[in-house]
Amino acid sequence: MMLTAYRVEMEKVFSKWRTYIGFIALGALVPIIVIALGIEGQDYLNIITQQFGSQFDFKGNLINGYTVAFIIFAALYVHVPFLITLVAGEVLAGEATSGTYRLILTRPISRATMVTAKYLAVVTYTVLLVLFMAIMSLGLGIPILGTDSLLVLRSETITILAGNDLMWRFVLAYCFAALSMITVASVAFLFSSLVENAIGPIMTTMSIIIGMTIISAIDVPIFDYLRPLFFTNHMNGWKFFFDVPANSEGMTYAADWTRVAISGSVLLLHIVGCFVAAQIIIRRKDILT
Amino acid sequence: MNPPAIAIRDLHKSYGSFNAVNGVSLTVEQGDIYGFLGPNGAGKSTTIRMLMTLIRPTSGSIKVFGMDLATHRAHILRRIGAIVERPDFYNYLSARKNLELVGRLSGADVSKASVDRVLGIVGLGHRTDSKVKTFSHGMKQRLGIAQALLHNPDLIVLDEPTTGLDPQGMVDIRDLILELSQDHRKTVFLSSHILPEVELTANRMVIINRGKAVIEGSVQDLLNNGRLKVTIETSEVARAQQILRESSVGNHLQSVTHGELIIMLERHEIAGVVQLLTSHNIPLSAVTPVRSLEEYFISLTQEVV
Repeated sequence: MMLTAYRVEMEKVFSKWRTYIGFIALGALVPIIVIALGIEGQDYLNIITQQFGSQFDFKGNLINGYTVAFIIFAALYVHVPFLITLVAGEVLAGEATSGTYRLILTRPISRATMVTAKYLAVVTYTVLLVLFMAIMSLGLGIPILGTDSLLVLRSETITILAGNDLMWRFVLAYCFAALSMITVASVAFLFSSLVENAIGPIMTTMSIIIGMTIISAIDVPIFDYLRPLFFTNHMNGWKFFFDVPANSEGMTYAADWTRVAISGSVLLLHIVGCFVAAQIIIRRKDILT
Repeated sequence: MNPPAIAIRDLHKSYGSFNAVNGVSLTVEQGDIYGFLGPNGAGKSTTIRMLMTLIRPTSGSIKVFGMDLATHRAHILRRIGAIVERPDFYNYLSARKNLELVGRLSGADVSKASVDRVLGIVGLGHRTDSKVKTFSHGMKQRLGIAQALLHNPDLIVLDEPTTGLDPQGMVDIRDLILELSQDHRKTVFLSSHILPEVELTANRMVIINRGKAVIEGSVQDLLNNGRLKVTIETSEVARAQQILRESSVGNHLQSVTHGELIIMLERHEIAGVVQLLTSHNIPLSAVTPVRSLEEYFISLTQEVV
């Protein structure tokens, strides 16, 4: 029954126009960025390496497919949550708005099955969107701009990762990005279970993300206790796959695994918490619409 | 002996201090077309929502085909097809796709032939691939009946199924309900606030008001037994009153107003009274019998309005 319910939910999700907004947006933006960096990438590189210019001499094809994929990842990652909430925030509340809870909850499937099927449909959509971003970024960037080393600039450090040490990092980074986006989807899904209008969950989720991001950015000691609890603070964990701690230089699969594990765990806790809460809410809900 | 299709006992639903349903009990036998009658706001839809597990009862029990709804939900819902209030669908999908999706969740045969057959029954055979957002309310109502029939349920729950239909549509739905009962041996639970609609289709009925079942029984017994309230319109009220007072029905004269007399009569007594008055050359402009239950129901409806 779960498989049937899941297929039904997938058909519903992918029959809606709003589902394709994310794919259309990424499908339009990524090629533009790839082409723009291909044309003017060297100027862009000169600007961002200006502070190191007198100490380092940068050689090789540094505006390559990996660099472009990394830049796109960092740039679009901030905006993808909005695309996710468009679908995840609507999936339960939309049934209430349209009165179709009456149609599906009078069927011989349990509410738990229905909620799980909807959640899995949202997760599938989220993973597909991240996968689409990965395929567009690497799939366009590498054939057009080739491969070489990746230059990762932080405020005080430069990490240069060899071209043959990058693909696994990108694969895991996109997996982590999927986990982050599933967290956003789970929050929107939880709010979607609470209300009867899809706009509410979308706006609330985005407000929470913006609010937490602002609080995280303000360097006030009292927020030091809150920051580790915010899921937004762990969503950038994908970057840790491109960090090579000083003590692990030269090691195979060197990355900041400790921070990856911490951030991943926090995100997983949020995912499980939101899903369980949504299940309880829908189970107890009187359908009055 | 077959268990009742529906057995509701002392059902309550409260929202804070407001009792939406306040101790409803009723029994629907298998094969019945059961009228669930009450004015708007009487608690009909709340009862149906509890029957369809959309809301939880505060207390009381619901058994369907002898099984407790609380413990055999999935098994019971497989045997029920329902329209609950408005017929809402996924407007961005076609009629066929809507039926396919909900049919799959009910374990129905959703082959093209099966879906086309059901859409044909409700008169939507020509619009199977049209998106529901292009449908009128009446067409959605028909589609609602189609989704209720698709998985061939034993019990069909119809909540105000003729709302929004044109006169021909209402007749079609009534005929369909009778056909489902007579030819396919389905049990039909028909909620309505229109007495004639129930009278024309149901064999048993209950009237519900303010969350309580007021009266339950055979439609025939409830509507046709007992005295009728007969209004006699004449230009010679005083003389007619005197003639009636001196007759055997004189004690049942209720009121006399300008231009009309109201008298409580058995159905078979009406012809005799008309003959008595015309034999005394009393000019009659109208003789209107109103059944006491009908009058009672109208008073309930007006009370709510």
